[in-house]
Amino acid sequence: MSDEEHHFESKADAGASKTYPQQAGTIRKNGYIVIKGRPCKVVEVSTSKTGKHGHAKCHFVGIDIFTAKKLEDIVPSSHNCDVPHVNRTDYQLIDISEDGFVSLLTENGNTKDDLRLPTDENLLSQIKDGFGEGKDLVVSVMSAMGEEQICALKDIGPK
Amino acid sequence: MQGPGSNGLAQLQATMHAVELACTSIQMHINPAAAEATLLSLRSTPQPYQACQFILENSQVPIARFQAAAAIRDAAIREWGFLIADDKRSLISFCLCFVMQHASSPEGYVLAKVSSVAAQLMKRGWLDFTAVEKEAFFNQVNQAILGIHGIDVQFIGVNFLESLVSEFSPSTSSAMGLPREFHEQCWRSLEIDFLKTFYTWARNAAISVTNRIIESNSEVPEVKVCNAALRLMLQILNWDFRYNSNSTKSSINVFSAVARHDTDSPRGSECTLVQPGPAWRDVLISSGHIGWLLSLYAALRQKFSCEGYWIDCPIAVSARKLILQFCSLTGTIFLSDNGKMHEHHLLQLLSGMIDWIDPPDTVSKSIECGKSESEMLDGCRALLAIANVTTPFVFDQLLKSIRPFGALTLLSTLMCEVIKALMMSNTEEETWSWVARDILLDTWTALLVPFDSSGGKSMLPPEGVNAAGNLFALIVESELKAAVSSALTDDDDDDYLHTSISAMDERLSSYALIARGAIHVAIPLLTRLFSERFVRLDQGRGVIYPTEILEEVYSLLLIAGHVVADEGEGETPLVPYAIQTYFADNIEADKHPVIVLSSSIIRFAEKSLDAELRALVFSPRLMEAVVWFLARWSHTYLMHPEEIKEGNSAHDQDHQLRLLQTRKGLLNFFGEGIQGRLVLDIIVRISITTLMSYPGEKNLQALTCYRLLHALVQHKHICVHLFSLDSWRNLAHAFANEKSLLLLNTAHQRSLAQTLVHSASGLMNSDASNLCIRDLVGHMVTCLGELSGKDDFKIVAQQPDIILMVSCMLERLRGAASASEPRTQKAIYELGLSVMNPVLVLLEVYKHESAVVYLLLKFVVAWVNGQIAFLEAGETAVVVDFCMRLLQLYSSHNIGKISLSLSSSLLSEAKTEKYKDLRALLQLLSSLCSKDLIDFSSDSIETQGTDISQVVYFGLHIVTPLISLDLLKYPKLCHDFFSLLSHLLEVYPDTVAQLNSEAFAHILGTLDFGLHHQDTEVVDMCLRALKALASYHYNETGSGRTGLGLHASGIMDPGGNFQEGILSRFLHSLLQLLLFEDYSPDLVSSAADALLPLILCEQGLYQRLGKELLERQTNPTLKSRLANALESLTSTNQLSSTLDRINYQRFRKNLIWYRRF
Repeated sequence: MSDEEHHFESKADAGASKTYPQQAGTIRKNGYIVIKGRPCKVVEVSTSKTGKHGHAKCHFVGIDIFTAKKLEDIVPSSHNCDVPHVNRTDYQLIDISEDGFVSLLTENGNTKDDLRLPTDENLLSQIKDGFGEGKDLVVSVMSAMGEEQICALKDIGPK
Repeated sequence: MQGPGSNGLAQLQATMHAVELACTSIQMHINPAAAEATLLSLRSTPQPYQACQFILENSQVPIARFQAAAAIRDAAIREWGFLIADDKRSLISFCLCFVMQHASSPEGYVLAKVSSVAAQLMKRGWLDFTAVEKEAFFNQVNQAILGIHGIDVQFIGVNFLESLVSEFSPSTSSAMGLPREFHEQCWRSLEIDFLKTFYTWARNAAISVTNRIIESNSEVPEVKVCNAALRLMLQILNWDFRYNSNSTKSSINVFSAVARHDTDSPRGSECTLVQPGPAWRDVLISSGHIGWLLSLYAALRQKFSCEGYWIDCPIAVSARKLILQFCSLTGTIFLSDNGKMHEHHLLQLLSGMIDWIDPPDTVSKSIECGKSESEMLDGCRALLAIANVTTPFVFDQLLKSIRPFGALTLLSTLMCEVIKALMMSNTEEETWSWVARDILLDTWTALLVPFDSSGGKSMLPPEGVNAAGNLFALIVESELKAAVSSALTDDDDDDYLHTSISAMDERLSSYALIARGAIHVAIPLLTRLFSERFVRLDQGRGVIYPTEILEEVYSLLLIAGHVVADEGEGETPLVPYAIQTYFADNIEADKHPVIVLSSSIIRFAEKSLDAELRALVFSPRLMEAVVWFLARWSHTYLMHPEEIKEGNSAHDQDHQLRLLQTRKGLLNFFGEGIQGRLVLDIIVRISITTLMSYPGEKNLQALTCYRLLHALVQHKHICVHLFSLDSWRNLAHAFANEKSLLLLNTAHQRSLAQTLVHSASGLMNSDASNLCIRDLVGHMVTCLGELSGKDDFKIVAQQPDIILMVSCMLERLRGAASASEPRTQKAIYELGLSVMNPVLVLLEVYKHESAVVYLLLKFVVAWVNGQIAFLEAGETAVVVDFCMRLLQLYSSHNIGKISLSLSSSLLSEAKTEKYKDLRALLQLLSSLCSKDLIDFSSDSIETQGTDISQVVYFGLHIVTPLISLDLLKYPKLCHDFFSLLSHLLEVYPDTVAQLNSEAFAHILGTLDFGLHHQDTEVVDMCLRALKALASYHYNETGSGRTGLGLHASGIMDPGGNFQEGILSRFLHSLLQLLLFEDYSPDLVSSAADALLPLILCEQGLYQRLGKELLERQTNPTLKSRLANALESLTSTNQLSSTLDRINYQRFRKNLIWYRRF
């Protein structure tokens, strides 16, 4: 695998985030894929043929994991697609500041203060309500291709 | 019903106006909600009869009259129990008189509604009315049908009988809120006592107007009556005859073909058999009735040019349908005179309708010129109906007395014409030729599907064989032509493709039947067509891209596959009977036509191993057909387990012997000798090629994995040879070591792992098998062990390539685990044991990667499921401990977790993923549960093992909080959850008793939720659980123990309030359910089973509840009825206070009676 990794390194863009090539045929529903430069979760895969006796091609429907936009792509199934490196990290929520940022406790005891709260009212209230009630919350932060966003939260308070 | 007083009249008028207003405003869409409310209140008013009758008689608005009739129906059905006998009768006769009086009214739908209301009420009271009362009604109807009061009334009379018959026929009856027995009794009574009389009335009515119709040259009003009568007769013949036919199984003669209808006509859906029994013989057969019908239709045919008549005019259609129905007549209605009577009957029908289809070319041409096709299609359907009730021989003979050729020849030429028309039209639309082809194919199927195991029925007479041969040749020609013309069209429309594939499969199996009917022509024809194409492919190599030929070969492969072999459907298919028997003269095995054909196809397939040829010729689509053919073919012919039965009759020994030899030759040719192994090797090498050299061709690889390879390892005797082949060992080696197989779809990798492990169990001794499996799975264990042991695993784990690797390994593990068999169990157990720790590490690391978590859980489920029954006590403890750690870890990651996403579809995906996880966990618990039921381990009973019940309760305790009410909306999860719960409560009620009150309350809360669930199965399971709990408690306390103890007696909560015991709570809610809520009648017996022990446990409470119930009831009649019902529920039928079978049965009966109240 080491030779492939080398190959990825050269392809990586500026940040720490990367994409990896993977054969289109191996990408399944619920996996990730880059469509039109955006990291997406695959919600539908179907295969068809190019012409009656041609080769198979995959039709992907993905949903942008950050903006929730729906994107589609068709790729010959023996070709490679880019698959984003999606990372998720858990942090304890320390504070929610007035200006729309959160303060998070990292594993090594530092704080991370550069993450904005979501702008969507609904999501915002789900985070704020729990925090307001004084619950101990852990948030999962999803990062891919240089973007990050809170994707889940969990109450770890004493039962 | 009181007479209207003076202010009564005003009120009636007011009601009428209100209803009329509501009806008109609904039509004009003005304030529909209010209008609907008015109508609804009319329907739900108690005793609305007077008002409704007033509206029916006086209203000028037809819809209002319609609504009034509907209201009468609703109210009467609802209040039937309370109406006095006079009221019941007068309601029905009001409706009858109303339709008769208004017979000429132009609003037919109002009349039809009133007539159907009368029919429904008649049925509702059917079992109460005396014979005299019924007689009176039917007299009135008979008068009408006789035509004394004119044509319109006659029509109404026939129409009423039509709704009556449809009301009594179980498939078309309307719901009345009564048990099934009621409908069955009505069904039976009408069939035995009235149906034939009705038929006679209808026939007489039709005959009485026939002359008028035949004599007139334009449409006359009598046509309406005649049409209605024909429809009624058709409807009566459609009746599902049960009681009159006396056709016990012993009296079936060969001719009746009753058995066949049930089992062997998979596609005869259009054609049901009519078997009214001997009582109908005089009416239907001996009275010259059919002659009349045929001459009526013949007369109508003459008139098609006249005004008011045409080929599709209602009366012609009804007459044709009735004729068709007569074609399906069979059973004991015919004398058992060796089929003479039946033959005569069919001949009469056939000569009556032969002009519809003969001569085929003229008929076909005139349809192409614009004549309606319906008569021709009905002719085809008649052939199908006749084919369904005869043997090919009789079928063929029928026509010979009126034509110089047999019916099979006619069938063949007719179908040839249809196929020619089909080739000409060449459109996507469903044309008449399409429909006709399907009907005629069904006819062939009906004739040729083997009647019994000897296949005697399917043999065609010689003339028929030629007919079938000609037809098959034309069919192949048309299929090839279709293939060529479709070769260049790009079928992108997926849905269309899928439906047409399944339709095509059905069509191909009919073609195969025809081909087997003329096997000596069909197989050589296919061989010739194949070799022509192979030669052309060879010549055209590299010059042109031969799409058309590829498509032709594709079609031929499908046809050939169907002709030479049957679909196994899970069983090992036999060599088709026609092939087994037909080539008796051809003793040399390698000249056997089937062997020649098979060999040439296999040689062709082998060429796909050559890379250059593969690129030129073997497109993925063609390869799919090749793999499909090989799978189907090898299932039947490859290394066939020899079990030739000795012929039991000695009368034609020489023939038998030769037959046996040919058969042996055919089977042995590809048997376990050199030839068979050679072919097996070729097949394996082709499989490797499709898996490795067609990257990304999922469909092809799926076919290879699921059809071809699975079919091979299903046979033990093939498995024995597999590991002796280099090619198979290469495959196993590549699987463990080569990267290219990691690029397969992960599900295919799972299947491949399963296949390989299966094949290993075919090795001679079990040590070798286990060793072989260790080799196969070793790489998975090492890979997962190394990955999870890496220091930086947490950091790299999220990289897509690592995720892919882990997913592949987990899928392969799952495949291997699911192939566990007793003799390979040891190796698989070790496999699981050695990945336990890595699995837990993976679960921790991938807690956010639901796709991986799911694969991981599925592996554990498959592994535990395969192993649990074989484990010794020590091993069980290890496995159980592992499962509990897994559950706890999963739970700690997921409990209280909320997914946040902008996208609703991603959120619902997340929910679905959770659902699938939980379902897997429940399956895991169920598998653990089964340890107590099935246990093959060598431990003696005394060995102190793990207490499975406690383990599973503990597991359930972990899992239950994860299951939210929202998730229970997934039916499968809900079902799994409640079946596990009810199983636990039924089998281990003692463990429940020991649970702490929080856990206990949780379980019972869910049970209470389940009791009010929509799904009756869920409710049923909850009732069973309740029964188990209550009867456990009752029996335990009866013998002086504590039973459920505090849980049952109720406790003081910390606040000092007394909390009711759980049994009393459930008695409350169960009574509530039974008395006041709608529930399915299917649940009555399980409800009774649960209610009895509850009542016995909580006698005092039950009495109190009963009293409260009575006091709340204000209506005195109802009150006394309720008191009686409650009384008889517990005290009739010698009910005692024990919980044995008999007592349960008695109580069930009581409750069923109670429901009638």
